[in-house]
Amino acid sequence: MTAHQVPVSPRFVETREFLHQIRTRVGKVVVGQDVVVERVLIALLTSGHLLLQGVPGLAKTLLVAAVSKTVDLAFARIQFTIDLLPSDILGSEMLDQKTHEFRTHKGPVFTNLLLADEINRAAPKVQSALLEAMQERRVTIGNNNYALPAPFLVIATQNPVEQAGTFELPEAQLDRFMLLHRLEYLTPTEEKEVLRRNAALGVRRDGKGAVARTEFDVLGDQAVGSSDRLVQAMEDVQQVHVSEAFLDHTVEIVNRTRKHPKLELGCSPRAGISLVKASRARALIHGRDYVLPEDLFALAEDVILHRIRLTYEALAEGFTGPQVLQEILSEFAQ
Amino acid sequence: MRRLAGLFLLSALAAQGAPPEATVGMRSRIEELVLPGTELVPAPAKPKDPIVVRVLAVRAHGSEFRYDLEWSGFEAGKYDLAKFLARKDGSSGPALPAIPVVVKSLLPKSVKEPGELLPVAPPELGGYRTQQIVVAVAWVVGLLAIFLVGRKRRKAAPIAAARPTLADRLRPIVEAVASGRAEDTAKAELERLLVTFWRHRLGLREQKAGDAIRAIRQHAEAGLLLRQLEAWLHMPSPPEKVDLQALLAPYRNVSAEDFSELAKPVEAT
Repeated sequence: MTAHQVPVSPRFVETREFLHQIRTRVGKVVVGQDVVVERVLIALLTSGHLLLQGVPGLAKTLLVAAVSKTVDLAFARIQFTIDLLPSDILGSEMLDQKTHEFRTHKGPVFTNLLLADEINRAAPKVQSALLEAMQERRVTIGNNNYALPAPFLVIATQNPVEQAGTFELPEAQLDRFMLLHRLEYLTPTEEKEVLRRNAALGVRRDGKGAVARTEFDVLGDQAVGSSDRLVQAMEDVQQVHVSEAFLDHTVEIVNRTRKHPKLELGCSPRAGISLVKASRARALIHGRDYVLPEDLFALAEDVILHRIRLTYEALAEGFTGPQVLQEILSEFAQ
Repeated sequence: MRRLAGLFLLSALAAQGAPPEATVGMRSRIEELVLPGTELVPAPAKPKDPIVVRVLAVRAHGSEFRYDLEWSGFEAGKYDLAKFLARKDGSSGPALPAIPVVVKSLLPKSVKEPGELLPVAPPELGGYRTQQIVVAVAWVVGLLAIFLVGRKRRKAAPIAAARPTLADRLRPIVEAVASGRAEDTAKAELERLLVTFWRHRLGLREQKAGDAIRAIRQHAEAGLLLRQLEAWLHMPSPPEKVDLQALLAPYRNVSAEDFSELAKPVEAT
């Protein structure tokens, strides 16, 4: 028996199976985005928020919709635009003409899984309104304060290519996102599989007419688990053991970002917290009830990279954030 | 005859009564004054002259010259302008008649005049050449000081920055962990050092940290040792008793060469 093939509690086995089912189910619709699915699950299990950065057409929306249907969560999507108002997200009070009283209209933020598409296209006040809701998980409409449903998870997307007419999220707001994952193009094999599946979609009859079926039509309505099962998994994450040595590694990495000569801004304490939380969830997804340095290295880029800022000199010398982070991780023990 | 005319004019001025007057600092003129002899110019002024004379115009007047003079007094008193004129050709010439003027002061007599300034000798810095030499010496001394101080700092820096090699750091930690007296921080450092050790040994230094650790875990020798260490360090309750002596035996006699993948390459499996 190797060190990792140790029996875990039956409940952990159940949770691992549940998470595996989610991944398998999502994998039937979304091809080749295993890491992204893992990151979405990590965000879901830790109540952290996720920012996906990638060019259009990488199945971000499909992925989030698939996850929400698989776990039986309420799902809403907001397409962020320049003319969006905070009330379009949070909701507003409306005058009822019949009763002559104000009635609260709750906005799309009152959901379990919110997809904020192209978050950097909205004005800063709209971004702030959403980020406040993300932080406090409460929304104030008029004079009333409402709690958001639990679980509440925001998955925001932003396009790294088109920068015209966008409002870059400031560091303080980026810090609210537990993870920022950079999506990459599929491998040729995966892309071929996407084309093969798309070609086999066929058409969907709609009354007398018909429309071409999309991947969204493939999503089954039957969930693999209830939200109660998800809550149980979230509780299991809290039981994942974190050793003193792991905490030491985390603090070492976070501190290195603060002292590195090429970095103007290092990680906040929230980064360390996020690293540990995300590592626990990843360990559970991989069937462990304890974290390993492997989790730390796997998640470091998504947790740390959006929280650091290079110095002007480092930028002028052509260094990039990922390069400096790899430098920090490579010099981990030196 | 003309000399007599000049004398006559002066005597006429005197006869008119008072000689020309002016207050201190104010200019006054005497015009059409015929003086005997060759042409006259203002005598070279001395610093303490109480009066200054300018010749505004000179015109021939037979064998003599007719002058327009302007004068200005600095101290109250009666003066003879003739004393402040000299021959242009340097000759002594005929004696000039007195040209009396009066300089008056507007200040009351009770006002005390400022005391005479005493000459103060300038500080003896020497001439321009001396100053140049002083500046050059100071520049050379400064330059030498910068070089010498910089060299001392550079010499001191390596001593301060001299860090023990990874092998030096690994040995005491391995001993401490093996003897069971290591603290949690030392255990964590041990893990980091061993990851680095295997990255060097397996030639994975250029790989991303995450990829490198995956490769190490898959390596036959390194993977077994690292997984055992991970189990001991990170599991809430290790499944079997870890033999630390055996686990750490490969690292007990590491040298600096063991951290060089060029010195001792091991193929990753």
